[in-house]
Amino acid sequence: MNKKRTPWQQTLLYLFVFIVCIVILYPYFVMFTTAAKTDAEMYAANMTILPQQWQWSNFLGIWSAAPVFKYFLNSLIVSGGATFLAILCGIPAAYAMARMRFKGKTFFLGAVIVSQMFSPVVLLVGIYKLMVSMHLSNSLVGLILLNAAFNQAFAIWLLRGTFLTISAEMEQAAMIDGCGTVQALIRVVLPMAAPGIITTLIFVFINSWNEYTIALTLIQDDLLKPITVGINVFYGYNFIQWQYLFATSLFATIPVIVLFLCIEKHLVAGLTAGGVKG
Amino acid sequence: MNNNRRLKQAEPYLWMLPSILLMAVMIVIPIITVFRLSMSEISRANIVKGFNNFENFKEVLSSPTFWHTLQNTLVWTVVVVGFSTIIGFVLALVLNQNFRGRKFVRAVVVFPWATSLIIQSVIWKYIISADYGSLNVILKKLGLIDSFVNWTNSAAAFFAWECWVGVFVTIPFVTFCVLSGLQSIDTSYYEAAEMDGATFWHRLFKITLPLVRPSLTVSTVLNIIYVFNSFPIIWTISKGDPADKTHTLVTYLYKLSFYSGKSGQAAAVSVIGFIILSICAGIYMVLSLKGEEADQ
Repeated sequence: MNKKRTPWQQTLLYLFVFIVCIVILYPYFVMFTTAAKTDAEMYAANMTILPQQWQWSNFLGIWSAAPVFKYFLNSLIVSGGATFLAILCGIPAAYAMARMRFKGKTFFLGAVIVSQMFSPVVLLVGIYKLMVSMHLSNSLVGLILLNAAFNQAFAIWLLRGTFLTISAEMEQAAMIDGCGTVQALIRVVLPMAAPGIITTLIFVFINSWNEYTIALTLIQDDLLKPITVGINVFYGYNFIQWQYLFATSLFATIPVIVLFLCIEKHLVAGLTAGGVKG
Repeated sequence: MNNNRRLKQAEPYLWMLPSILLMAVMIVIPIITVFRLSMSEISRANIVKGFNNFENFKEVLSSPTFWHTLQNTLVWTVVVVGFSTIIGFVLALVLNQNFRGRKFVRAVVVFPWATSLIIQSVIWKYIISADYGSLNVILKKLGLIDSFVNWTNSAAAFFAWECWVGVFVTIPFVTFCVLSGLQSIDTSYYEAAEMDGATFWHRLFKITLPLVRPSLTVSTVLNIIYVFNSFPIIWTISKGDPADKTHTLVTYLYKLSFYSGKSGQAAAVSVIGFIILSICAGIYMVLSLKGEEADQ
């Protein structure tokens, strides 16, 4: 579809793209400009779009105003732990589903698809009960286990798709040379599947980093909150410190967007391939 | 020898064991628990007292709030998925063109997808706030309004804004799914159509749409599930208020369980949501396994 456009179409295209960009970037613009406003300006009668006085110190202030560093650390532990666990369980499962023949394979594939249908929210009452009975209701370990479990489906999906694109001949050659299946997987398949594995890693990491509902329900101890729940400290009942809230949100968002931009191409191909072809 | 063969047969299951174990404990047990709780009497102190003859379901189904919530959930899912699919599809068509700055626009479209829902919800809550919201400030500076407007003066207004935020955050997923479908279309189709003098609409409906249909199906089905289950937007912007009029099933069950102490009824709402989702899941499974067979 690379034929020449008429000037009319050209203008229309750029106009459309321009509007899309403005609308999408608008909330981020608001987040950024508000984060740099002073406390007084926040509720002033004569509000301006840009800060009258850029208060960059807000970006430093958040770290001492609340245990923000601890929140970030908790998010990092939960997302890192969940990613590790999800991949550790996901790789062998995806490998078996990509390479081996066994009874019930279709059933397992179906179960994986179905499990991605059930978001934790619908099961929240049950999850809460389970976590309380395991004494994990107010702990990072509980969050790690849950995030890993609810990301299993996608992890298996993406990894299986990756393994399927790799020819089995290399492993067979390695196995003839005396490698066991496990060795062949580690030495031959995993290095070749690296792009797919990294995509999966980042995707699970981002999902866990952005998770809100489970953490909100399970974590009571302030110092155990991940950042998505922790930012609520700036959101008091009668006083909201918007500038701190948004400064913290920016710190929580920018690294994730950068990571996401890195994997976007692989991820999309993997998701649709997994969904369409299985 | 016999032992060896048995081991060989068990091998695939051993490979899947860690994954199955993780999902069984963390997902299947809560599912069972939810079903059990939905049929049990639960005291205020959260003690499960045993089967109570579907009393929870009776109470939920006789509450007008539930029916209103169910209606909201339907509107929410249809509106958000519908609009985001149409807009996302058009955006994908545009991004599939060659133009200057395409890479930049593509990157911008990723933003809402990568940002935590809770953060986006909070920004939009701030933007539409009546007293100091950024939307009012900008509109006033532009001279479009004289005084600040209360954008959320009714439950319907709240809900409309929530739908907008839902659409906003859902578009990127549709766009990228469709885009990956579009990029796999062989350009020779279009060249042939060109020769035959096909119009834009002809090409859209006879070539593009049929060929991206699989991608569109995936994104639509997954979005139905995500949007149906979406919690942070409504919880942050209105908490289901005013007067419980803006709930969807998930915020309603959250409130029932963790604010009103009615775990039994909350579990009943979960089960109802679960059944609705199962129907969607069944449809999706049939569709994708059909694709699987066709592929082999």
